[in-house]
Amino acid sequence: MIFTELRFVALFLGCWISFHFVPRNYRPAVLAFWGAAFYLVYAGPFSAVVLALALLTFFRRMSWIAAIATVALLAYFKLSLLVPLGFSYLAFELLHVVLERRRGGIENVSLVDLLAFVFFAPARIAGPIKRYPEFVAAVHDAEPSTENVYAGLLRILFGLSKKFFLADILSQTVAESAWVSSTKHAWVIVFAYSLQIWLDFSAYSDIAIGLGRTLGIVLPENFRAPYVAKNIREFWERWHITLSRWVRDYVFTPAGRWLFGTPLRRVPIAIAVISYVVTFTIVGAWHGLTPGFLLWGVYHGALLSLYHVVRVKTPAWIADHPWYDSRAVRLASIAFTFLCVTIGWVPFMLPLPKAAKMLALMFGIHR
Amino acid sequence: MKRRLVLVFLWLIAIDQAVPLLLEHLERRHYEGTRTFRFENSDLFALGPLVQYLRDHPQHAHRRVVFFGDSMIFGYFLKPEEAVPAQLQKLQPDARVYNAAVNGQEIGTSYLVAKEIIDSVDVLYVEVVGGRANPLLPSLIPVDASDLRRFHLEEPNRVETRLESWLGRVWHLYADNYRLQAALFGTSTRVFVYMHKKDALNALRGFVANASSPEVWPAIQGQISVRAPRKPGQVLDRNEQQRIKNDLAMLARAHHKRVVFVEFEWTNNATDGEDAAFNAAYAPYAETVIVHVPPSVTFDGQHLVPVSSAAVAAALAAHEEAR
Repeated sequence: MIFTELRFVALFLGCWISFHFVPRNYRPAVLAFWGAAFYLVYAGPFSAVVLALALLTFFRRMSWIAAIATVALLAYFKLSLLVPLGFSYLAFELLHVVLERRRGGIENVSLVDLLAFVFFAPARIAGPIKRYPEFVAAVHDAEPSTENVYAGLLRILFGLSKKFFLADILSQTVAESAWVSSTKHAWVIVFAYSLQIWLDFSAYSDIAIGLGRTLGIVLPENFRAPYVAKNIREFWERWHITLSRWVRDYVFTPAGRWLFGTPLRRVPIAIAVISYVVTFTIVGAWHGLTPGFLLWGVYHGALLSLYHVVRVKTPAWIADHPWYDSRAVRLASIAFTFLCVTIGWVPFMLPLPKAAKMLALMFGIHR
Repeated sequence: MKRRLVLVFLWLIAIDQAVPLLLEHLERRHYEGTRTFRFENSDLFALGPLVQYLRDHPQHAHRRVVFFGDSMIFGYFLKPEEAVPAQLQKLQPDARVYNAAVNGQEIGTSYLVAKEIIDSVDVLYVEVVGGRANPLLPSLIPVDASDLRRFHLEEPNRVETRLESWLGRVWHLYADNYRLQAALFGTSTRVFVYMHKKDALNALRGFVANASSPEVWPAIQGQISVRAPRKPGQVLDRNEQQRIKNDLAMLARAHHKRVVFVEFEWTNNATDGEDAAFNAAYAPYAETVIVHVPPSVTFDGQHLVPVSSAAVAAALAAHEEAR
């Protein structure tokens, strides 16, 4: 875990001290400097590629080259399964800057602010995926106070505890998938994975947010109790929130808008289904260009489509019935959503042939 | 807030003063006590702390015997007290036997660990299997540059190692946290919790498990035997495994220690003549013994059941006595 490596701690301490003792105007430069140092230590020569992409993004006329290069590099790394440090997150952040500048959502970009945004170390390891205007505002408004340091340290401690005391212990149970042979055992492993991936991933976010907080920088939340979601749409409003928002803004909504300009506008449900499936196939591909990740993405696209169809087609007399919003139905919905999400993790956690065997075991259809 | 931060800091300093004493006590109990020594869940985590302890405590009251090997020595599917090293411990109560085997461990790992602890032990039993070293080893024990190249291992990051060393000098808890976990649990905390979660749940429920319930092992047939070929000939080093054996034998000879190379018959690639030449060349410091284990005394054609495990230990002990 990079966060607990002393090189990272030393770099962050250097960043923290300089950030607190330089005049407010120089703070973005401090973040850019220490972030670049972090990238040099952990990614070596690849730092030059990141710098080049940042510079291309900065110059408005060349930003489309930056976008194409970013997507091409991301696809290349995902295909080779060797993604340099945090590039998946960085790619989406750079694309956000390019797209927002085109849309007019970002008017002025300062090079120093952009470099601070690109190289910001805490969020570069496992997110959250930042937004440029919010990040720049957070850096300029950062209040280095004891309260922030205390709250940040507590959040870091919370994340570390989640990671080391819960996620890592669950990972031992998940490793039992190597010799799973019964239906009950298969379900135990898959439920363990469901909890482990949430605890592990959200722990990284906690630490990143906590580190930001010690600097007085507020980073966006990435998880909000995802397993209490009552439906799959709500799940995606609670799980990897910054990624969900990114694909909503830059894939789902534009895709839907474009489809409404085609003859499909007469079948809005079809537009929703296509948009969901395309969006979540991209989400799967973002995690890795492997059949397992793609299947996981398509599965979530299908679940969201199904939920959309059911919601639209449910008669008003059922939807308005008090029973529909009763505690029992809500609990059943939470359990059902959790179950659907958990089953979906199988192709995410195992290579496809093993995932097929695991699913067959879970549903008692193995020989 | 400031007060709380200062209090936490002071509390950490106070705790840190007690760490060396606590570690000394826990390690003495763990490494010199009478409890069967084996890495829980066949986890490599506790190997580093074991090596550090043995290096820090070369003097010992009891004869130290260390076993290296794979699942055959670890005792795959067996309780710690049923594996070969623990069975030997029962036959040699004057010795302290350490089962440092890990499933899948090859002789390259055994060699590198043996180099580190040779001065602190009396006898090493090394299963002859494979030729590679575990890629995690450089993060657990010191490995010199030539061995890193020889076994194609990656050097740990030097800056990180230096920073860890600096911090470890001023913060005992940081320096000794692996050793503390190993001394407390025999493995990492996470593996210990994982291994004992059922016990904890049962304790919470007030349920007492019947620990003495015997497993049903298949009845065994056939004779286990140990032999050491003795006919002199030419010592070969045509492959990495033989080179490692020769290097380890020379190491034992240089340090006046004994290494017994345990070869299970089905993994023995050398001829009796080659083993005999090896035994003649390095006697009395190193010896290859060939263990004959018929499939009928195993539960899967290879791994030992408790009774056959005891028979292997008895044969090894008898061989040492007869020497």
